[in-house]
Amino acid sequence: MSSSAIPYSTIRMEGASVAEFSWDIRSPLDRALVAGPYGAQGKAGVSLTEIHNFDLAQVMARRGKAGEMIAAAKARFSAAAPETPRAVSAADATLIWSGPDQFLVLSKGGKHSIEALAAGFAGSASLSDQSHARALISVSGDKARAMLAKLSSIDLHPSVFAVGAAAATSMDHTSVTLWRGKDRDGQAVFNLLVFATFAESLWHTILDSAAEYGVTIGHSDELA
Amino acid sequence: MAGDQANRLTSGGLIDRSTALSFRFDGKNFLGFKGDTLASALVANGVRLVGRSFKYHRPRGILTAGSEEPNALVELRSGARREPNTKATTAELYEGLEAASQNRWPSLNFDVMSVNQLFAPIFVAGFYYKTFMWPAKFWEAIYEPAIRRAAGLGRASGVSDPDHYDKAWAHCDVVIAGSGPAGLAAALAAARSGARVILCEEDFVLGGRLLADGGTIDGLPAAEWVARAVAELEAMPDVRIMTRTSLFGVYDGGTYGAIERVNDHLPVPPEHQVRQRLWRIVAKRCVVAAGAIERPIVFAGNDTPGVMMASAMRSYINRYAAAPARRIALFTNNEDGWRTADTAIAAGLQVAAVIDARADVSPAHRSLASKGGFPVLHGSVSAVEGGKGGVRKISVSLTGGARAEVEADGLAVSGGWNPAVGLTSYHRGRPKWRDDIAAFVPDGAPPGMVAAGAANGAFGLGACLREGFEAGAAAARDAGRSGNIGSMPVADDAAFSLTPLWHVAGKCKAFVDQQHDVTASDVELAQREGFQSVEHLKRYTTLGMATDQGKTSNVAGLAIMAAVSGKSIPETGTTIYRPPYVPVAIGAFAGHHRDENFHATRLTPSHHWAAEQGAIFVDTGLWKRAQWYPRPGEKDWLESVTREVKAVRGGVGFCDVSTLGKIDVHGPDAGAFLDRVYINAFSSLAVGKARYGLMLREDGIVYDDGTTSRLAEDHYFLTTTTAKAGLVMQHLEFCRQVLFPELDVQLTSVSDQWAQFSIAGPKTRDLLKEIIDPAEDLSNDGFPFMGAREVKLRGGLKARLFRISFSGEMAFEISVPARYGEAMARNLMIAGKPFGVTPYGTEALGVMRIEKGHVAGPELNGTTTAGDLGLGKMMSTKKDFVGRVMAGREALTAPSRQVVVGIKPTDKARRLRSGAHIIPKDETPGPENDQGYVTSVCFSPVLDQWIGLGLVERGRERIGEIVLAHDPLRGEDYDVELCNPVFYDPDGGRQRG
Amino acid sequence: MRITCPFCGERELGEFTYLGDAKPQRPAADAGEDAVYDYVYLRDNIAGVMSEHWYHGGGCRAWLKVTRNTLTHEISAVEAAAGAGAAKVGA
Repeated sequence: MSSSAIPYSTIRMEGASVAEFSWDIRSPLDRALVAGPYGAQGKAGVSLTEIHNFDLAQVMARRGKAGEMIAAAKARFSAAAPETPRAVSAADATLIWSGPDQFLVLSKGGKHSIEALAAGFAGSASLSDQSHARALISVSGDKARAMLAKLSSIDLHPSVFAVGAAAATSMDHTSVTLWRGKDRDGQAVFNLLVFATFAESLWHTILDSAAEYGVTIGHSDELA
Repeated sequence: MAGDQANRLTSGGLIDRSTALSFRFDGKNFLGFKGDTLASALVANGVRLVGRSFKYHRPRGILTAGSEEPNALVELRSGARREPNTKATTAELYEGLEAASQNRWPSLNFDVMSVNQLFAPIFVAGFYYKTFMWPAKFWEAIYEPAIRRAAGLGRASGVSDPDHYDKAWAHCDVVIAGSGPAGLAAALAAARSGARVILCEEDFVLGGRLLADGGTIDGLPAAEWVARAVAELEAMPDVRIMTRTSLFGVYDGGTYGAIERVNDHLPVPPEHQVRQRLWRIVAKRCVVAAGAIERPIVFAGNDTPGVMMASAMRSYINRYAAAPARRIALFTNNEDGWRTADTAIAAGLQVAAVIDARADVSPAHRSLASKGGFPVLHGSVSAVEGGKGGVRKISVSLTGGARAEVEADGLAVSGGWNPAVGLTSYHRGRPKWRDDIAAFVPDGAPPGMVAAGAANGAFGLGACLREGFEAGAAAARDAGRSGNIGSMPVADDAAFSLTPLWHVAGKCKAFVDQQHDVTASDVELAQREGFQSVEHLKRYTTLGMATDQGKTSNVAGLAIMAAVSGKSIPETGTTIYRPPYVPVAIGAFAGHHRDENFHATRLTPSHHWAAEQGAIFVDTGLWKRAQWYPRPGEKDWLESVTREVKAVRGGVGFCDVSTLGKIDVHGPDAGAFLDRVYINAFSSLAVGKARYGLMLREDGIVYDDGTTSRLAEDHYFLTTTTAKAGLVMQHLEFCRQVLFPELDVQLTSVSDQWAQFSIAGPKTRDLLKEIIDPAEDLSNDGFPFMGAREVKLRGGLKARLFRISFSGEMAFEISVPARYGEAMARNLMIAGKPFGVTPYGTEALGVMRIEKGHVAGPELNGTTTAGDLGLGKMMSTKKDFVGRVMAGREALTAPSRQVVVGIKPTDKARRLRSGAHIIPKDETPGPENDQGYVTSVCFSPVLDQWIGLGLVERGRERIGEIVLAHDPLRGEDYDVELCNPVFYDPDGGRQRG
Repeated sequence: MRITCPFCGERELGEFTYLGDAKPQRPAADAGEDAVYDYVYLRDNIAGVMSEHWYHGGGCRAWLKVTRNTLTHEISAVEAAAGAGAAKVGA
């Protein structure tokens, strides 16, 4: 069981009839993800990391208020929120375009949870909590693009999908949010937000696609 | 002798003589070399007879050396991997390869069915249509099985394919089909321009015809030039060279289909690897450098083993160092065919004669003939003597009428070349006729595509390089790349002179389509019988409809048709070209999507907990839902479900209902928006309250239903049915963006954000008090029926609580963020233990909703109105909403409509079945007396009998009437009573209690 | 087929859902049954250039108006629905 930064995640509490509850938090990939090597042996061509326990808020501008929403974002994150398919790194959050006049705020530790964001965007945007609606998978390695080509119809060539590029797209007929994070160890990193109830199924599809390249699987509490 | 590579030439070829490979064909052991195809290895071993033909079981040999092969089809591999109709000419040899000939019984040499030949006069075009007409019943029972045994090709393995396939996307500026001189030149020009290039080659070696015909390019031997070109391309990071890959189709918007045979050249794919991969290539431009296919001349006995395309003979001799024959005759109508005579002589083989249909032969060839000591006969082949052992003697009709005979063990044939016009014609393009080469060439192409080289009718080596290079450069330029393309490769062009000859009239069978056994006389007969259009000719004779798609036969068929109808070939025209260019395994199209991966699967937040409890799961759309939770000793599902229902009605139970679609509706106009999409009002709903809503399609038919709660002034939480979740989201976005864009409303799917559980039964509050913070008031006053608000759980976690009931019991639905869903299920079990809490599945859910008369999918079936469901009074008259006007139409409000009513058998012991039709008592069952049908049934533990809901004409007016349930599917007729659909607690006291 | 979403760029067909003719406008609330009947049921079967509603459900969830030639599948224009995103429509 993963630890969580969310305060009430593993609090134990006695009920009225002295029953003990634990509110364990479980990632939708909790059962399916087995850390370690997978598939072909040798140097792993694909590295898969699930990121646990993040806050994710959908911010959607109200009619005629896109400018105000951008200004509110600027005030909060000191960054220009994406108005085209891009992911913008702010100091302690990533703002990912998710559609016209809307973006996702990805952060950790409750700092930009929906409750924290509410006041700043009041009147300019509608907020919807998506923290539990998605699983976050980070894909890297020499063969990351070859593997993703089996799942994604998006052209991920470096000249087309540079660092910071994002796409609201589909994999295996399932909606995903895909963006390229900062390179790590000289290698491209692709981040995938997938819907929680599809996550296990998509995970197996990802493993099947990656197996021939050799995979190393892990999880992390840190955002890429 | 077979088995010892007796026909392997002592030198030459692109085979690796240091790597011998053993293989089996029809149970016999042979040796070949790495670099062989199965066909070339059979040729090297002197095997000529490789199969029996489709209809007549005639002995057949190898006709070609490529993917156009009609005859040499084998079953490759054995067991589950047995693959029928595999072309020996493209199957790469590997150690341990096993293949078997097809369509013969009991053996290739002695085939009982070859007696079909004796009945040949009756197996003419349209034979099946004419013969097996009567009686109709005989077709399925007798005729078809018998025909299928006698005719046909290979056998499928009959078991599941153990290998994996996948699909992938690729993107580039320029995709090139074919790596012959034109393809390589195109790739060089495009790649040097800086374009992202994908070069697809169906063969396992690059070079195309250069591999067999050589030549000199830029002063270098062709092989050396190819090696240099490939090295240059491989060094460029944005060039992808894909061998064993056929570009088979072109689709709208510059999308191309390609099949990569990743591991077909190995006995079994390495672990974790796929056998084949289907590519969807998105390219700005495409250069088709797919070459041309040499075409046969149709003459009597042209299917005798040992008759082979002239170019194929050169392939076997030059590329594979395998001699198809020792004493070769050549029958040609063009200059190019003569290269086979050159090749044969250079390889030390004998040329028996050249039969040239043209009036003149070049001086160079005359001197070749005199040096080689063979005659040049002006005329054509009129018959071939030989059988399953192959060609022995060839009869020649000389120009002027005399006859001659030539003794030979092989006959090379060249009737000219047909550009491969498939890809360029796939968007209903019709190729145009060029008289100078007597062939169809592309006339335009799908957007972004251009043909170059032989595929465009340019047969000279120099012309192929030039056209390819220019096309590659232009394609890159069009894609916005402008690098220095360097110098164009140069080679000489050989002259191409041809006198068209399609068919040599004769008495014996002359085959046009060898794979489907269609003869020249079949084509003539079809024409006489009135099949004037080539499309009709094709379907009547099946010409070109086999797995080779008539690559060697279509044009000859058209030419013969043209000749008998007195039209020209271009007037006769071609059939429509359709992809795929080569057969593609269904497994490749399916890719990953088979068996448990047929579609993506959705799991509820409590799925793994339910699995631990031993739940039986049911597929509901993409979802796996717990259907019931069997306990030890329960004999069947009904016993488990009945227990679950009783536990809920008598105590408390819970069910994961997270599969319902959940949508956040935000914004100042959220209420006004919901007023327009639901038939009832939501702007008037108080904050903290929930309301059942029904939405219609614009045609007035019910679309979906669900409960929507108002959580804040500008925030509603809407739920949909499980089945319609995605569609309702799409519909609501349509309403928001297209129909009512003036409303300030925002929509977000939160289906995956919340784990939602229904907790039902008289002890629900007792259970909830264990979990929910004691400060929260759950009493009727503090949390009345249809209340909805956020509550705090013990420990501080926030949840949403809704006092709604689908079961008819005192019930709540509780939502927690999804990652707490599993904990919630566990905690409900812990908290509910003192109250006998029972998890229940979708079956019990269904039983309780039927007992309460709640409608669901079977009633919301796309034909019912709100009135039909008994919900007509919900329709507001004070506002406009989607479907309002059409719902008021006469037919949708007629009193005679079939409406929801309760149904129970008069015999309490009888099982009611859904689908049974309702017939008035004493009327004859039949469509004229059909008054509706049973939509939903269950065994009701409360009533201790089977009950159901149905849609019955004027049902609500007929409560108490006894009618007939007529079930022709199960052969049952029984009396049922129409009753109030609310079987249980009709005044609703329990859910309000 | 590929459609260039005005928000996402060029995407493959599988991300989109087709609805149909984008010409008919939903009649006003008081337009009467005949007008609504026409809107719901009457469609031209156009062999040629047509304006169509497509939904980018596998992407940004915008409804689009796509101008497409039904004979060649050529797409000559794609525009967002009036109310896509936070566009302000009307007063």
